Amino acid sequence: MSKLFQKTTVLLAVVVLMFAFVLGGCGTVKQEEANGPDSGQQETPAEPVVVRMEGGDWGFPQPYTRYSRGPGNARVNYIFDKLIEQDEKGFIPWLAEKWDVLEDGTKYIFHLKQGVIWHDGVPFTGNDVVFTFGYTKEYPSVGSPDVFLDDTYMLEVKALSDYQVQFTLAEADANFFEILSSVYILPQHIWAEIDRPDEFTSSEAVIGTGPFILTDYNKEHGTYRYEAFGDFWGPKPAVDVMEFIPVSDSVLALEKGDIHIADIPVDVLPRFKNDPNYTVMEKPGFWGYRLRFNMEKVPEFKTREERQAFAYAIDRQDLVDKTARGAAIAGSLGVLPPDHRWFNPDLPKYERDVEKAKTLLAQAGLVNKKLQYELLVGEGREVRIGELIKEQLSDIGIDIKVVSTDMKTRDGRIAQGNYQLVLVGLGGWARDPNYLGVRFTGGDRGSWADGTPGYFNAEVEELAESLRTEQDEDTRKELTMKLQQVLAEDVPEISLYLTTGQVVFRNDVYDGWMHVFDHHETTHNILSFLKR
Amino acid sequence: MGIIKDRKGFRVIEYLLTFLVIISLNFALPRMMPGDPFLHYSGEVDEVVAFYSREQIQYFREYYGLDRPLLEQYTTYLKELARGDLGFSYYYKDNVNSIILRRLPWTMFLVISAMALSIALGIILGSYSAWRRNKWQDNTLYTVLIVFSEIPAFLVGLALLIWLGAGLGLFPLAGAVTHFARYDSVWEKMLDILHHAALPILTLTLARTGGIYLLVRNSLGTVLTKDYMRTARAKGLKEFRIRYLHALRNALMPLFTRIAIQLGALIGGAILAENVFSYPGIGVLMRSAVVVRDYPLIQGIFLVLAIGVMAANMLADLAYKYIDPRTRPAASSNQDTIKLEVKMQKGET
Repeated sequence: MSKLFQKTTVLLAVVVLMFAFVLGGCGTVKQEEANGPDSGQQETPAEPVVVRMEGGDWGFPQPYTRYSRGPGNARVNYIFDKLIEQDEKGFIPWLAEKWDVLEDGTKYIFHLKQGVIWHDGVPFTGNDVVFTFGYTKEYPSVGSPDVFLDDTYMLEVKALSDYQVQFTLAEADANFFEILSSVYILPQHIWAEIDRPDEFTSSEAVIGTGPFILTDYNKEHGTYRYEAFGDFWGPKPAVDVMEFIPVSDSVLALEKGDIHIADIPVDVLPRFKNDPNYTVMEKPGFWGYRLRFNMEKVPEFKTREERQAFAYAIDRQDLVDKTARGAAIAGSLGVLPPDHRWFNPDLPKYERDVEKAKTLLAQAGLVNKKLQYELLVGEGREVRIGELIKEQLSDIGIDIKVVSTDMKTRDGRIAQGNYQLVLVGLGGWARDPNYLGVRFTGGDRGSWADGTPGYFNAEVEELAESLRTEQDEDTRKELTMKLQQVLAEDVPEISLYLTTGQVVFRNDVYDGWMHVFDHHETTHNILSFLKR
Repeated sequence: MGIIKDRKGFRVIEYLLTFLVIISLNFALPRMMPGDPFLHYSGEVDEVVAFYSREQIQYFREYYGLDRPLLEQYTTYLKELARGDLGFSYYYKDNVNSIILRRLPWTMFLVISAMALSIALGIILGSYSAWRRNKWQDNTLYTVLIVFSEIPAFLVGLALLIWLGAGLGLFPLAGAVTHFARYDSVWEKMLDILHHAALPILTLTLARTGGIYLLVRNSLGTVLTKDYMRTARAKGLKEFRIRYLHALRNALMPLFTRIAIQLGALIGGAILAENVFSYPGIGVLMRSAVVVRDYPLIQGIFLVLAIGVMAANMLADLAYKYIDPRTRPAASSNQDTIKLEVKMQKGET
């Protein structure tokens, strides 16, 4: 009896010890002054606007320590500014209030905002901009574009005065603004001494010029708390406090009031639609699935008719209905998604037509040939998409073997070109149409990751190259329309569908949510939190 | 005496060798997995990922020393390990030591609490069932607990979340603490932590109690038919003494073995609760470290787990000696007597 008692005591002691450890560990959490929505102790004339969103750990919010996923980038974006920003229509002036384009697009002079201060009160100048681009070249950050490793791209960045910075490029590049919009300007007076930026996590590392200041971050709990920066140079913050907290189920959390905005599955949408306190907002389809052909590995994929036969046999709407429960939009064969600002609506639609697909296979001389291919997919939903494609293609005599691996294995096989057909899901479809060139042109311009091995179309090459160097927006739009036309006829890949769905928010708490032109998340852009 | 010392020495060498094999496997296995920490072309649904070009991947591989020969990486790893440094995480951008140390206590807290509760419940209910074998109490308990142990833990967790958390509003829906809160006292903080841990612990407890209950019930059932039980009764011992000292103690041996064997799997079980309740812990971290191929973090977590399992084995070895006198080594003063006793007991059985 006494031994049993001893053992129980020991076990209890261990539990108590662990509990003490947890308590101790928890003690490292920085405890904020109680200024949450329930405390009511904030001494401001108006009730502060506190918006709570789904959290999770996306890294310490500076450009070198955030994680390489979208939410990680957003956490940095609240604190740091870029030279330009995005709104609903395109790029807009930000730290740079205007710019001159010189010498056929190889030289840019940016005129910076005056009177901007860093969160520690030090004035922001052109030297910070020059420093940032030099520093990013020396230490590429998590999300900085690859051109920073290419000495032949950006020849020079220099300050002409405190508020004028000149960039010199080797050649004109329509992607330049996308590159600029991914570089957060860092304070020289803080970062100049830092030689391990990925280990820099002191409070100084999150001093930016942006509209919000980080007041709390906890890695293991996945929480962030931001407060509006009173001396922000730009549009006044419309939100006083942003809190990101972990959520088990976003629908339950939204209903319970733990968070104020969430993506809601179609089947539970009626619970929010009829409640005046909630507003439902449609999400644009900028994240999608591509079915890619490896024409190097399977030479018969070079036959356009076979690829077109695939397009006629695959019922993209059926994939939307069965694997996305309707919360998606079928892809266009011109590749740019229907929600893209330069989408071409006048393209061949490729409605499912089994007979036409069979005729095309006959034209390609593939009727009596055994057509058997391996389709590489990831996990979860991708397996269901793969199985449906297998079923649909079996109607035209094509036998598909679906092979599922984890994401990294699949990506590794893409890098090695070790696949016949592959399904990939990725974001960024609303970006500048230059990515069409990356996907469908060969040689050095094509990307090993996004490219289409073995594919060559002279017209695509020409159009993509013009699109890359052309400066005039209207001409670029025209080129994009034409390029989509060529792609839709040639079918170098099949855009299956783009996820859409609904985001629901508590309008009695905050209703300033918006989508920028190139992103599907409302909480990832900074304008959603500012008065405009 | 000398033999015993040698045996102890052998034991130490055995543990050291096991340890060396484990750290070598820890180093080799992540690198043998297909895929690369910096290579990715795809994301989860709705997830935008920063894709790297060949040059960027090369840069990051050099930066984190992955371009060096494997043998050099291995010796660096061993040297750092000898200093107690588990390395720097490529994805989480933090020291692996600090990442693990901040999360491990939460998992241990859940797992140990749930284990203690399920053992206690399992023993109480299992022995009650065994005393009432084939009566209605036994039948009811048996059915209820079998049903619970067959339902997947995450479903139990979801049901509890929806019913007790969202429906009745008795417990928080996620997390381990009230975030950004200020506590007036340690007690308040402790209550808050317990309040948040209640549902995850309950889920894990419900998932485990069934197995322990069955084991205790069956094992005790067997023990109750043994001759020494009849002897104890014949000696006129009190019922309490018979039940708990003679019967239960003997019935608990298989349970103890099972718990010792399962310690490693417990962390795996914690992933379920951590996932459902968005609870900070090492289970979910382990999964995502593998998903993103974060070699140092994978190495670190598996090392900690391996040490945990080895420690559990050692503890089990030691604890057996207290529970089961047959495995107790001879003490120096009365070594011969005990050896004789052991022999006699072995002879009896």
